[in-house]
Amino acid sequence: MHILGGIGADEAALARGNDGLVSSLLQLRELAIGIGGRRLVAGLSLQLDEGEVVAVGGPSGGGKTTLLRTVAGLIDPLEGALLLRGESPDAIGWPRYRRRVSYLSQRPTLLDISVRDNLARPFRYGCAGGDFDHGVASRLLTELQLDEKVLEQRARTLSEGQKQRVSLLRALLVEPEVLLLDEPTSALDPDNVAAVEQLLARFEGAILLVSHDPAQVERLASGSISIGEVPDG
Amino acid sequence: MAELLLSAGAVALGPADLAVAATLVVVAGAISLALGLGLEKRLAIAATRTVVQLLLVGYVLVFVFDADAPWLVLAALLVMTIAAGRAAVQRSSRTFRGVHVQTFITLLVTGAFTIIVVTQAVIGIEPWYEPQYIIPLLGMVLGNSLTGISLCLDHLLETLDDRRDRIEMELCLGATSWEASRDSLRDAVRRGMIPIINAMSVVGIVSLPGMMTGQILAGADPLDAVAYQIVVMFMLAASTAVGSMLTAWLVYRKLFNDRHQLLSDTIRLRSQ
Repeated sequence: MHILGGIGADEAALARGNDGLVSSLLQLRELAIGIGGRRLVAGLSLQLDEGEVVAVGGPSGGGKTTLLRTVAGLIDPLEGALLLRGESPDAIGWPRYRRRVSYLSQRPTLLDISVRDNLARPFRYGCAGGDFDHGVASRLLTELQLDEKVLEQRARTLSEGQKQRVSLLRALLVEPEVLLLDEPTSALDPDNVAAVEQLLARFEGAILLVSHDPAQVERLASGSISIGEVPDG
Repeated sequence: MAELLLSAGAVALGPADLAVAATLVVVAGAISLALGLGLEKRLAIAATRTVVQLLLVGYVLVFVFDADAPWLVLAALLVMTIAAGRAAVQRSSRTFRGVHVQTFITLLVTGAFTIIVVTQAVIGIEPWYEPQYIIPLLGMVLGNSLTGISLCLDHLLETLDDRRDRIEMELCLGATSWEASRDSLRDAVRRGMIPIINAMSVVGIVSLPGMMTGQILAGADPLDAVAYQIVVMFMLAASTAVGSMLTAWLVYRKLFNDRHQLLSDTIRLRSQ
């Protein structure tokens, strides 16, 4: 039942039906999402392929963050299914799925240890495929306009903008195939926004982006959807 | 006046002796009154409760000891466990559905485990349900376990509630629910264990434990009392450790599902 949402603005990114190619990177099938018993969006279908950036728009409280959290598997959809390269997260295993479909919350969260240890931590989990690569980390730090010295700094001493970039860096280091970004540059000045956007533009996977900045959506997104709006009539 | 009980080597106390002891509380109340602390009413209620509760327990114990019926002993143990379970939960500022049953089961398991080992393997009581041993020993186990369990429970629920962002961040980077919550679980178990570890470290130096003091007052050989106290301390350490770990494990099972999601909505603030 379509109560709210699922209304697209860009045909290219919009639902290509339930019988889209099985091999597409990420597929949202007839998704209904909600929080605390409240239904926010229903009947949302979306297919994302490599190199695509789809912006998620809509009013505040309309379910944008809930959508990203649902796609990340932090909460269950009320209805519908998620498929990553045609496989369900249950089949992939949820930790492995979340590593491949990485959600970056609006509030950057770092542990109270050094930045280096924060970046290396995901490589200690059981599903980690490789080891922390200092070379890659320091190259990305430079691209994000962060001094390599921050590696030895305690994470709590960083500014909000630094924390936001370190969080993004940590997510990129695990080499996800899909990034779910919730206001990824909200705490950054224009220079740093440009650096982040350049990095994201080179990201080879797909991105689902929530941003309040229309110019940013214009620059990054190849398509967009709007959720949480009551259709006319 | 007090009369010497030659058989047990202890001095039996009569109502007149208790009345004299009560003057100690009256002195405390008078100080409160003089300084305007406003504690005299609460002190009076607490003192009255002490007398009434202990007298009741005394009569119940006399009844159970005399009856020599295993079912009666088991019934007493069950009532004690239920009461301890309620007390353990009430101290926590956060709660969740099913916490009472879970805490009761935890206390039942830890209580049964330690009491069976101590009464059957260590002391070797005859018959197996000898209430003179089993009831006070379980009382000590429950008293300490409930402190450990309630500290562990309170800390764990608070931490999982407060660290939701952090736990979900780790989940998003591929951590399993166990990997994401391990630090919180470890901290909570440690918190539950602190009182008993502190007590074990200073026992005999700073404090003489109540049971040992009681035995010595009752005329037992101090070395016999010490031997019992060592058994009791080990018993309490084991039961607190098992109780805290079981609590942490059950809370973990309750707050995460098999999709490795943190069910943080499960935690509710206890209405005051």
